[in-house]
Amino acid sequence: MARLALPIAFVALALAACDAVGAAPSLDGFWTVKFERKPSGQALIDSLPKGAVLINDTGAGELAAGDFAGLKLKPAAIEQVKKYDYSQELKRENTCVPPSVVFYMQAPFPMEIYQGRDLIVLKMEYFDMVRVVFLDGRPHPPESAPHSKSGFSTGHWDGDTLVVETSHIEPGTFMNNGFSHSKHIKLSERFRLSPDGNTLWLTQVYEDPETFEGVAARYMAWTRKPGEFVFPYECDPSYGN
Amino acid sequence: MRTRKAALARERTSSRLVGIAAALFGFGFVASAAAHHSFAVHFVADKIVTVKGTVEEFTFRNPHGLLMLTAKDEKGVEQHWRIETNSPNILRRRGWSEDSIKPGDQVTVEGYPARDGSPSMRVYRVTFPDGRELVGQRPDPTVVPGQD
Repeated sequence: MARLALPIAFVALALAACDAVGAAPSLDGFWTVKFERKPSGQALIDSLPKGAVLINDTGAGELAAGDFAGLKLKPAAIEQVKKYDYSQELKRENTCVPPSVVFYMQAPFPMEIYQGRDLIVLKMEYFDMVRVVFLDGRPHPPESAPHSKSGFSTGHWDGDTLVVETSHIEPGTFMNNGFSHSKHIKLSERFRLSPDGNTLWLTQVYEDPETFEGVAARYMAWTRKPGEFVFPYECDPSYGN
Repeated sequence: MRTRKAALARERTSSRLVGIAAALFGFGFVASAAAHHSFAVHFVADKIVTVKGTVEEFTFRNPHGLLMLTAKDEKGVEQHWRIETNSPNILRRRGWSEDSIKPGDQVTVEGYPARDGSPSMRVYRVTFPDGRELVGQRPDPTVVPGQD
């Protein structure tokens, strides 16, 4: 927790320095996962790239071993999955390995969003992950720059939709069943509020030619709950064997 | 002099090997990244088992709470069950806490069995002798008790 204190303090100061958000919709607040039988944000799903494979493991959903939601894996990735030892996941040393932003956004945990003019911060409950999305027009760092589980994100408003592009993502599990994405994965996201402002929709679009063919995507939805807050996660590895 | 030359040659060979290893690791080959375990991979989602026994230990920390339970199987043989909960963060919002279950408590636990056949499960529901219930992972997350 202490290791997060400094970056959070920095981000809080940066946000305080930002001007009013202006005409952009406000995503500020606490958001809890919305479990839906039928997607309420179908319009966002309809705007996904043609042919994108929609991965149906969001929220409480999970894919079993060998189920990759119809995504066509590259031969190296298939070999990787064949060699994967699921029992290793139960080891103490792997218990608290956080997933990357490719997987952690879909987890059934809430988040807080702090929105400024020049940046947006997403404080995720799952594994205490924190994302910073720069809206000030800065470029992405060079390819050789360090990668991280949250990557490097820039964003802009496209009308009422926040468009975020993320690079420099450290390899991590893609579907939590033995298949990992590479460090070259590119993530494009579209965040949009429902007309009443109480539901937040997100689509994530992934391209990673090193591990799978074509384009994959996920859809997520959250409900705004004023007055609630994210709990500390503080993963304890002693759960493992 | 010869010894010094030999040492230099060894150093060069060694640095070359280190260079080759570094190149291999940096090539971008994707090894499977370790991950926090999946429910679907390790537990059977469409089957519920029931165990009645005595609590040995209860810990309530992320990523999963753990309930260690002593119970007897159908032949009367004592078994030690390792029962995990879903994340305590999720359960706190449903009324669970560190003190919800104590060593010595007699409980009935229903849950999703481990795929490997070991005495292990992910908890669905814990019931106490007085009828009190703690709900863990619901079979259908879209159905909230009392709101369906």
